[in-house]
Amino acid sequence: MSGVEKTSNESPEVEDKNKEMDAEAEESFGDDYGVEPSQYLFYSDRKEWADLEPVPQDEGPNPVVKIAYSKKFSDVYDYFRALLKKDERSERAFALTADAIDLNAANYTVWHYRRILLQALSKDLRKEMTYITNIIEEQPKNYQVWHHRRMVVEWLNDPTEELAFIAEILSQDAKNYHAWQHRQWVIQEYKLWDNELEFVESLLEDDVRNNSAWNQRHFVISHTTGYSDPAVVEREIQYCLQQIRKAPHNESAWNYLKGILQDHGLSSQPGLLEKVLELKETHCSPYLLAFLFDCYEDALENSKNTEEQERQETLSKALEICELLAQEKDTIRKEYWQFLGRSLQSRHGRSSSEEPPGAEAESLPASGVQEAS
Amino acid sequence: GVTDVDMSPKYHFLKDRHVRFFQRTLQVLPERYASLETTRLSIVFFALSGLDVLGSLDVIDKDLIIEWIYSQQVLPTDDKSNLGRCGFRGSSHIGIPYSTKGPGVLHPYDSGHVAMTYTGLCSLLILGDDLSRVNKQGCLAGLRALQLEDGSFYSVPEGSENDIRFIYCAACICFMLDDWSGMNIQKAIEYIRGSLVSGWTYCAIASLCLMGRLEEALSPRELDRIRRWCIMRQQSGFHGRPNKPVDTCYSFWVGATLELLGVFRYTNFEKNRNFILSTQDRLVGGFAKWPDSHPDPLHAYFGLCGLSLIGEPNLRKVHPALNITQGAFQHLQQLHQTWRSSCGQQH
Repeated sequence: MSGVEKTSNESPEVEDKNKEMDAEAEESFGDDYGVEPSQYLFYSDRKEWADLEPVPQDEGPNPVVKIAYSKKFSDVYDYFRALLKKDERSERAFALTADAIDLNAANYTVWHYRRILLQALSKDLRKEMTYITNIIEEQPKNYQVWHHRRMVVEWLNDPTEELAFIAEILSQDAKNYHAWQHRQWVIQEYKLWDNELEFVESLLEDDVRNNSAWNQRHFVISHTTGYSDPAVVEREIQYCLQQIRKAPHNESAWNYLKGILQDHGLSSQPGLLEKVLELKETHCSPYLLAFLFDCYEDALENSKNTEEQERQETLSKALEICELLAQEKDTIRKEYWQFLGRSLQSRHGRSSSEEPPGAEAESLPASGVQEAS
Repeated sequence: GVTDVDMSPKYHFLKDRHVRFFQRTLQVLPERYASLETTRLSIVFFALSGLDVLGSLDVIDKDLIIEWIYSQQVLPTDDKSNLGRCGFRGSSHIGIPYSTKGPGVLHPYDSGHVAMTYTGLCSLLILGDDLSRVNKQGCLAGLRALQLEDGSFYSVPEGSENDIRFIYCAACICFMLDDWSGMNIQKAIEYIRGSLVSGWTYCAIASLCLMGRLEEALSPRELDRIRRWCIMRQQSGFHGRPNKPVDTCYSFWVGATLELLGVFRYTNFEKNRNFILSTQDRLVGGFAKWPDSHPDPLHAYFGLCGLSLIGEPNLRKVHPALNITQGAFQHLQQLHQTWRSSCGQQH
């Protein structure tokens, strides 16, 4: 009995759904599943394991979220628990970890124990690289497998397979977060910057909307040449605008552009505003308009000694953009754009004495929830 | 914002189905859920907090579940040699004999997991427990053992990947135990600032709010940029990164971040609601990440939280930083008051 009232009569829909999901799950099970029952021997029937007393999972009188394991699954893990208890360091233990991983590659204790054994038994780490390569191919979105690979690479102190391997994984899913994290780690750790920009560009050729690739572009350049060299900045601006012309509705390209310029002030880049205003006519998007707004806002924030007339014109253009976004080009964020317009107005509007007293009320708390410590 | 509610059946919120979905989750899951074994306590949290948001905790036996949760606590041994490994386990998978009280049993591979300690404490609070059986010294020592030089955390003392998710877990633990000696806040803040480029914005902002350091760590301009980044995630529901598909759970991750930053009210509630409900499973209850996909406990929980944020009727309000209902949060505040006013309390 669990600590939960049994629900009355499972509906037929739930039963059907469960059968459908079980069938789907079976399709994705490993090789053993199709094996004749007579070929697979439970550990409890293997004589070379007879000395070990299996340790069942002890859930207590009222287990919660209990998982219903098959005999095959429990058998492997009962012996895994037995090995753990005595901290056995042996070949048979090492072999069992592969079975345990096959059944549940997310069990971090199994992976940790396997690493202990790899070292205690001085196992061939090259073979382990092959092993982990295969596992990651099958389960590329699992944290434990990537962490394991990282440990083996560190022990071998050999990153030479990594970039090619990660590229292969990315060819199946170009946005796999784990793959990108591993890639950034290996590049930074082993200083493998040389060909990465080229790699990024090839991915952006494949899909100019790949946000991870744009992120990687920023990662590479900021850690190599940096963005203080005006030639680099100019090259990157050109690259961005080129990609935007090819695919205007691409938030990633506009985010990248803003990201490389915002710390120096968007309005300080000569000629950029004009180029963006040109693009507005033929390659408009909510992101272009947001960028324009940010340029105008930056101009207002950072050129306090500009003539009042010019400032009011800039403010007016910015407010026009807000209206265009709110009413037509980015209506899902209507409330936000109108809020930004009001904020800008109250910060830079002509003579604050004209503003009604409530104008300050719009300024929001940095947090709706700040906890007293 | 006012929601223009679409009244067609597709957008009916099927409360009872979700209650039953979480009830079933708390009972038995089929073997295809094996990958959740080591994180079962977090699944318990999704189900319990989900039932709490639904105002339906009465369908479960709270005391029995409390016992099971305490059986996952890794307690200090008599000689306290394992203090750096204390906390809560996700489950009994390594074979520790069932026990709800100490002293701890020495086992070469037994240790807590930071996300399980976090969700374990939340779960106890949701069930109305007073945390009196939590070994705070152990939990905090176990937490300190997980923090790296760069301010980030491992999940387990044996080592794991390290990132901002575990800083968030650590911040929640310190907040709940009302004791920030579990972490070096300054280093954590440095790591948070350095990692804002990534998509884990919720963890960053929620951690800073729990620490009470949001405006200290981030300038008004940086906060505005984060607001813009987050608000741009709305496509119908929300996605986590540009040019990725929307996913129900981001209605909470991004929505709660926007709420903490004071601008959630400027999102489009109707489109958000319609997307979340399009992922509702009308047969078995729960929510999936996408329409026409299978529901799971995580998306079921965060789908509800997403609806709660927009003020869906009959759903309890959720504290956006700690991710438990306001009711459970008030219970925690009362515990804090009791602890602080009792004799000999050191602060």
